Amino acid sequence: MANNKFMTTVSPHLHEKGQTIDRAMKDVLLALAPAGVWAIIVFGFQAILVMAVSIITAMLSEVVVRKILGRKSSLSDLSAVLTGLFLAFLLPVTTPLWVVAIGAFLAVGVAKELFGGLGKNIFNPALFGRVALMISPLWLYIAKFVKPFWYTANGVNWFTPITTSINNGVAGRVVFKTLAGTTKVNVVTSATPLSLLKSGRMLANTVSGATPVGATWITSSGRPSFWSMALGLKAGSMGEVSVLLLLLGGLYLIYRRTIDWRIPVGVLCGALFIFLITWNHPVYQMLSGGIWLGAFFMATDWVTSPMTKRGKWIYAVGIGVFIGLIRLVSPLPEGVAIAILIWNALTLVLDRYVAEPKFGEIKKPWFNRVPVLPKPKPAAQKA
Amino acid sequence: MSNQGYKTFKGGIHPPYNKELASGKAITPAPIPSELVIPLNQHIGAPNNPLVSPGDRVKVGQKIGETDAFVSAPVHSSVAGTVKAVEDIKNFTGAMVKSVIITADSDQPPFEAKEMKPLADLSADEIKQIAKEAGLTGMGGAAFPTHVKLSPPKDKPVDSVLINACECEPFLTCDHRLMLERPVDLVEGLKLLMRAVDAEKGVIGIEANKMDAVEKVRSAVSAEPSIEVEILDVKYPEGSEKQLIAAVTGRKVPPGKLPSEVGCLVQNVGTAIALYEAASTGKPLYERVLTVTGHAIKNPSNFLVKVGTPISVLIEAAGGLADNATKLIMGGPMTGWAQEEPTANVVKGTSGILALPPDLVDVREEHGCVRCTKCVEACPMYLMPNYIVDAVQKEDWAKAELWGAIDCFECGVCSYTCPAYIPHVSYVRKAKAQIAALKKR
Ligand code: SF4
Ligand code: SF4
Repeated sequence: MANNKFMTTVSPHLHEKGQTIDRAMKDVLLALAPAGVWAIIVFGFQAILVMAVSIITAMLSEVVVRKILGRKSSLSDLSAVLTGLFLAFLLPVTTPLWVVAIGAFLAVGVAKELFGGLGKNIFNPALFGRVALMISPLWLYIAKFVKPFWYTANGVNWFTPITTSINNGVAGRVVFKTLAGTTKVNVVTSATPLSLLKSGRMLANTVSGATPVGATWITSSGRPSFWSMALGLKAGSMGEVSVLLLLLGGLYLIYRRTIDWRIPVGVLCGALFIFLITWNHPVYQMLSGGIWLGAFFMATDWVTSPMTKRGKWIYAVGIGVFIGLIRLVSPLPEGVAIAILIWNALTLVLDRYVAEPKFGEIKKPWFNRVPVLPKPKPAAQKA
Repeated sequence: MSNQGYKTFKGGIHPPYNKELASGKAITPAPIPSELVIPLNQHIGAPNNPLVSPGDRVKVGQKIGETDAFVSAPVHSSVAGTVKAVEDIKNFTGAMVKSVIITADSDQPPFEAKEMKPLADLSADEIKQIAKEAGLTGMGGAAFPTHVKLSPPKDKPVDSVLINACECEPFLTCDHRLMLERPVDLVEGLKLLMRAVDAEKGVIGIEANKMDAVEKVRSAVSAEPSIEVEILDVKYPEGSEKQLIAAVTGRKVPPGKLPSEVGCLVQNVGTAIALYEAASTGKPLYERVLTVTGHAIKNPSNFLVKVGTPISVLIEAAGGLADNATKLIMGGPMTGWAQEEPTANVVKGTSGILALPPDLVDVREEHGCVRCTKCVEACPMYLMPNYIVDAVQKEDWAKAELWGAIDCFECGVCSYTCPAYIPHVSYVRKAKAQIAALKKR
């Protein structure tokens, strides 16, 4: 017994079961699954292709960039898979696959790995990838949306691949090529509810017929009804359409304590507040675009959100307010991605300067002040 | 397991407790080894000078180390025997400490009880004196001299004495057994503590996973209107001084301050019983109850052990190690010290010896922090463990202090819950040493 050596590490000697990075990533993947399946149902086989290309490119980018930088492979933490899926969720199903691949590389290769790898990145990688595409010349390719169940139109089916063509470098047009090779041009593109609100136009036809809860999908004003917005029968990026399924996944993550409830609550309340005081179509605004995907899945990203409770509240409400303001005053119809990225950048500032009271602290200051320690003499420091 | 609705503190974790391994085992005396190594420094404070030299005969309970400094506790021989040597020996933390090596006589006479004043007649100062003479220290790990704790500043009167009977460290059961087997001694000890600091209230805080102990202690205090038994949520670190005070009284000790700041005094079960023994028979603290347990110990046990006993003797007495023993820990699994070899010796603060099989040893390579905030949420001192680590990595000691390195009491909650497997405590220790060195200059 006496001659075998035991392992020596610093206390504690126990570790919480299942509390690992890949477990958390798996949780998020699971939480995204319902919305992902819904995307495949409403947007067709092409949705699978976009997700697959995004995930595979994200993983490849991670492997290649880490190899070049001389870092160890980190595929097993699943964060690249997650970023790839997130990016796919943020893109419309009409995005050409090569554009998807570029976005995934920008997300993982640049926003994550060049910033120092998981934990050191300042910006949410998927949002970074999406916004980088948006402000690049490629923006035309990610600006066309199709309406849900577009494949029920004549001459196309669920398997029909989608390609987007650019005419004269201006208008994005969506082309559907059937398997037989015949093409149908621009038959089923659709404006998103938000761009409708922006332009003041009405939606010609999204989905008609009765909803499971009685009312029709489209209101008399031509906009999607409340229920079609909530259930996800609207045009939009692949992952953002079904508010209910996103809420389901988000609640699961809160229950699993993978994300902090304060952030979605803060984002949603902040945005609702602005929509209410400006009376900017509060119900539509809340149910449309990426607010729910952003609040539950993007703003809650561990790495790019603040560490303290106070910081989290400021950050979350800040995002919500920014979404509200961007949608109100800027020409951009969306705003979730930009708002989150801005606050991502402010996260380290919040962490550094907003003080969190320690146990038993009597004065509870709001600002951190670094204590002044005597300077070590250069010679003494070595000793 | 989450909250059970009893009083508790904010933050903390719910590790698997594994108390059932040893909680049913009555306390038995451990075998007395032929040779004991008694470190002269077992407490926090000034080091003791040896009072014996090689060749000297020593009796059970004879003082063998002492110093004039106030913050110190004398050390006593735990056996009758002959001093073999006085030399530097590695203790359980790996530090070299001057120790007295004693060869025990094969025939051990029992401790001769001294003639003492009746307990009821003891004054506060006499109780403090008894505590000092008996070498009493905290027995939960930190080993702070008891008489120092019993002498709070004059302007900070203590109104409540709290007994930490939480035993919130997983696996350990020695306090649980003491409460079951010696509830009356515990209550007598608490009464002495209350008298020593002139407190009107005594509270014994017990975690809700020891209801049998609650019952026993409750019946022992039924005639004591000033003493209460408070059931507390099962949560780690419920028994930490500041957290226990917050849970029981709602008062929060400010950073850098002592419990007397909010009128409280905390002692653990072992210390209270040891004080009672010292006051009633003059017996100094030379033996203690500890738990030898873990899934890699064949026959988990609670032993009454002489200070200075090598842990290999205790492991043997508990049936030996299973073949798959991977980690050997002195103390509890959250704050104890991993031992490379079973060569260390029991000191006053040793609450347990733990042998873990591989499936309970989850050690992985440290990943960079992924900012999940789990550590921040769980830290019972509301610190920023990940930023302390970050500051230490950058050798920015001022920042390390800003994020709370000084206030950290190394409970290990942060590392327990960290998905990146960061060993925060080792960083914190580095920061503490550096900050202390800078401030001294
Ligand atoms: S920082 Fe210190 S006090 Fe806080 S959880 Fe970690 S070890 Fe415990
Ligand atoms: S628990 Fe670990 S990974 Fe999470 S914030 Fe703390 S140090 Fe970072």
